[in-house]
Formats: sequence, C-alpha cells, structure tokens
Amino acid sequence: MSLSGAEAEERACLLLKELGYMIVARNWRSRYGEIDIIARDGSTIVFVEVKARSSRGFGGPDAAVDIGKQRRIASTAGQFLQQTRCELQARFDVVTFSGERPSVYRDAFRIR
Amino acid sequence: MFARLTSGAVVGIDARLIEVQCDIAGGLPTFQIVGLPEKEVSESRERIRSAIKNSGFSFPAGRITANLAPADVRKAGVGYDLPIALAILIASEQLPGVSEQRPIVGELALNGDVRGISGVLPLALEALDRGLSGVIVPVENAAEAALIDGVKAYPIKTLSDAAAFLGGDIEIEAQPCDVAHLLAGTAEAIRHDLADIRGQAQAKRALEIAAAGGHNLLLTGPPGAGKSLLARSLPELLPPLSFEEALEVTRVYSIAGLLERGGSLVVRRPFRAPHHTISYAGMVGGGHGIPGPGEISLSHHGVLFLDELPEYDRRVLETLRQPLEDRTILLSRAGISVRYPASFTLVAAMNPCPCGFLGDTIKPCTCSMHDVRRYRKRLSGPFLDRIDLFVEVPRLPVEDLFGRRRSANSDTVRDAVEAARRVQWERMREDDGRFSNAELDSEGVRAHCALGEEGATLLKRAVARFGLSARGHVRVLRVARTIADLDRAEHIEAAHVAEALRYRGDRSAPGG
Repeated sequence: MSLSGAEAEERACLLLKELGYMIVARNWRSRYGEIDIIARDGSTIVFVEVKARSSRGFGGPDAAVDIGKQRRIASTAGQFLQQTRCELQARFDVVTFSGERPSVYRDAFRIR
Repeated sequence: MFARLTSGAVVGIDARLIEVQCDIAGGLPTFQIVGLPEKEVSESRERIRSAIKNSGFSFPAGRITANLAPADVRKAGVGYDLPIALAILIASEQLPGVSEQRPIVGELALNGDVRGISGVLPLALEALDRGLSGVIVPVENAAEAALIDGVKAYPIKTLSDAAAFLGGDIEIEAQPCDVAHLLAGTAEAIRHDLADIRGQAQAKRALEIAAAGGHNLLLTGPPGAGKSLLARSLPELLPPLSFEEALEVTRVYSIAGLLERGGSLVVRRPFRAPHHTISYAGMVGGGHGIPGPGEISLSHHGVLFLDELPEYDRRVLETLRQPLEDRTILLSRAGISVRYPASFTLVAAMNPCPCGFLGDTIKPCTCSMHDVRRYRKRLSGPFLDRIDLFVEVPRLPVEDLFGRRRSANSDTVRDAVEAARRVQWERMREDDGRFSNAELDSEGVRAHCALGEEGATLLKRAVARFGLSARGHVRVLRVARTIADLDRAEHIEAAHVAEALRYRGDRSAPGG
C-alpha cells in the first residue's frame, strides 16, 4: 500500500527537519512546474522532490525523476533563486517512499 | 571561492604550462570545463566527480567552473583530471589555499587512483626551462620525469595522496634517477648478431658502411635470402645512444604514449618496421586534434625498415623525401603546426621482380620484362636519389648455407663503426648540425671528399662508362669517404672509390 502524494510530502518534511534541514517553502510553483519542498541545509539551498512508490521494482530516484522532470525542477529552481535573489549554492535532493520506508538521496542529480 | 593551479599540455614535441583555475559560485549545481577542451577533457567531469567522492571528500554544490588558460591552446589528453580535482577541493575549502607553482598532471580513475599519462618528459623539460623546482606526476611516469636533472619528480598514487601532499600533511620523496645506470643498459648483449647470418659478405660490408656513414640502404634479392635479418642487425652496429640522443628518442616515445609502464629512458636505438599497408598519417605523423608523431619520428636516431618497398603506397614513399633531407618533419594543420625530429637511417628491401627470382641461380623468373619494368617504376627517381647504397642479396650458395665459416661479429664491426664516426665528428665540427657523411651535400663533398689523381681518373672513367649522373657521382664520393674513414685513411684512395662504385646501384635497381 503506498502513501498518497500529500502524505508522503508531509512525512518527508518531518524527516528533513530531523536531519537538520530548515523548511523554506512547500509546493512552490512557477510556470514550468512545481517543487515539493524547498529547504536549507546549512549554507546550501536544497530543492526536494518527493516520490511515493509502492515497490522498488521501477528503479531508484534517477528512474523515478526522469530527465524531463529534472529539467522542469531545475527551471523552477532557477526561477526561485532569481525571484528571491538567493546566491547560495543549490542542490537537488530526492526523497522516496517505497511502501512506508523513506530514503533520502542527497545530491540526487545535477544539471548537465 | 577561487583556486589556481598549474598543469601542462603537450603541443607537438614541446610542452606548455597551462593554468587551471576553478571557481565555485552560488546557484544551480553545474560543472563546466572551459578553455578549448577536447572531448576527453570535457568527459573528465564524470571521472573527477567520482574520484572526489570516493576519496573521502564531498563534491561541492553550486556552479563549478574550471578554466584552462591560455584559452587559445587546444587541451587534449587526460592529464587535467588531477589538477582540476585538486582545484575544486581548494575552491570548496576542503584543502587549504596553497600557492603551488609546480605543474600537476594525472588521469583519475573513478576510485581516486592516479593513472599514468603520456608526454610527461616534455613537461619536465618545460618546468626546467621555466625555472620551476619540480613536477607532480603519476607514479607510473615518475621515472620518466626524473630524467631531467634539476627538476624533482614527485610520484603520486592517489587523489588523497596528492591532496595531503599539497596541504603539507605528508612528505613525498622525489623519484631518484641514476642516468649512468640506465645508459649502462646500452652495452647489453647483441641480439641480432651479424655472425649468425650465413654468407652475404657484401651485404654485411654494406651494412657496416651504412652504419659508419649514416647512409640509406636498399637491399635487393629473392625471398629468403636474409634481407630482413640483415636489416635487423643494423641498429646494433650503430654506436650506443648518447644521453642527449636517448632523451630525444624518449621524448618522442613519451608523447606517443609508447614508453613501457613505469619505464624511463629509451636506451636502445629504435628499429621500426611498419607494414607496407601503412597510411600517410601513420608514416609521417598525424591524427585528430594535435598531430602525433609517425613512424619516421619513432625511428629517430635509429633505423626505419621498409620491407617490400615497391608495395608501399607511392604517396607515402614520396612524403619521406623531405624528412630524409631535413631530418625533421613539419606537420601543418588548420590552426596548428608541430615539428617532430626524424633523423633516421632508411633500410629498404625489395625483390628484383614481382615473382622474386630474377637473376636467381636456381629458380627461373616467371615475370615478363614488362612486369619487371612496371614493378620497378613504382619507385620514383627522386626517392631513390636519397639512397646511397644499393646492394644485391643473392640466394646463398649451398656451401655457404652449410659451411662453418663465420663472419665478423657485430661487436667487432661496431668498434670499427664507432671509430669511423669519431673521425667524421672531428672533421665536421665546423659544419653546422652535420654529423655523418650521409649528410654531405655537393658543397660538403667538395670540401671533404677530395680525390687523389688515381682515384679521380678511376671515377672519371666510371662516369663515362656507366653514365653516372651528377647526383650519382656525389653519392659515390660520399660512400667512398665513409669507406676511407673505416679504413682510417685521411685521403680517399683509388681502392675506396672502386669499392664505392660497387654500390652505385644502376644494376640492382633503377635510379643511379
């Protein structure tokens, strides 16, 4: 049984807080798409994509967040940095739930 | 944060110092390498990222830009992996900001190991020229870099070693180098001894003359007569490489990436025998990006052996003419031209006709005159003009094949050759950049190859009788000079001219 999207995001927030992240924004939208969670990890700004999957049969976060999704997230993140005049170093993390078990992938992908 | 280190690029035979700059700015995580990188340099991003992670460091977030300056030199090769990785570590404050002038090169494996690269020797020479105290190189290349006196070579095994060394946490001892010990290797046992080849006294004599005067040689004979064996014995008849010569050879091999793993000085004279299907670029040098050295440069200070000479592509043979004359090759391509040394002795071998048995004592030749003419016409006159000695290598008579008589061995011949070479160096000390009789042009011949009355009469008669051309005439004089030098005679005598006339080559092959 898999979690619903909203539940997964809620749990991911709790998990990130435990890991020492400071949540900055949730479901931040631009015309390119949406970022589930924006947080600060020390001096780094982190854009987090949350994925709920019932099993690992379809691969890890790289498979769940395909190149098109990565581009949309990156474009949205770029907009966020511009609008907020943020000059911090940025990173993309992915949090997945396989069933109820969460995994956090720090620095899950980069812009090629 | 910004970091700056030094690395190097090989451009032709020389190296240039390259500044590796790295900047990490805020923003989305990207990693770019700029400064005219070739494909393999751009690809290094993935190696660098893995190597940094697997060496216990973290790969920084943010906009990473690595710049290789000056931006107008094409950056090829994998040697930038290590300096870029170190610059990233400094820029991300995982390493203290050091001021490091010494050039750093090395390829990274994904686990952080540092792998050997080509072209380290030229880099060490450039470091010496720039007055730098040392170079930081992969452990595989350290022996090679250590050859340069005055530059310390620090061998590096892994990225973490390099980081600790730059940060001053560990000491790395410079690679020691014992040049005298390396050169002693040249006096090794002879592997292709003349004494092991049966009969062929005239061909052996011609080899001795070729070795003594640096003359190019064409052997003509039926299959199985021993042409290849004879050619193979030539490098060992030549005097051992001096340190300077060995360094020049090593430099070419370093650039070509042909040094043995962990090897340093090339101490044996090169012997290159490219197959007759060789391409133009393979022979004189070329390839994508910065042109690399070809067979003629790999034969520098050694012997280039072309077996089945008429089978080579005509265009490939014709391109040899200029390097045979200039002893160097200039490769010009769009936006870049590089010069490689190419001072080699050419030994060529061919059959007298397509079937191989023209003039043989036992087997009849099955070729028509037309076939023979066409076969020989594949060699142009100007090309054959560069060959001083034409020698027939006939089938061995039965008594030679089973006979017990052994000829002089290579050791003895080499002593005679060395003595003759010394005489030439002495005589040509004032001539710029010329070291052997083979390099004498018509002016040099006039200066150094004066004939006595008897010799002059003999040569005059030969010119008339054999229809010797002006070039053929100069060639005979050059060879006679070498024969006289082998004889320790100050003046060329009639006997020397007579012997030289035997190699003039209007019988065994066209030309002359």
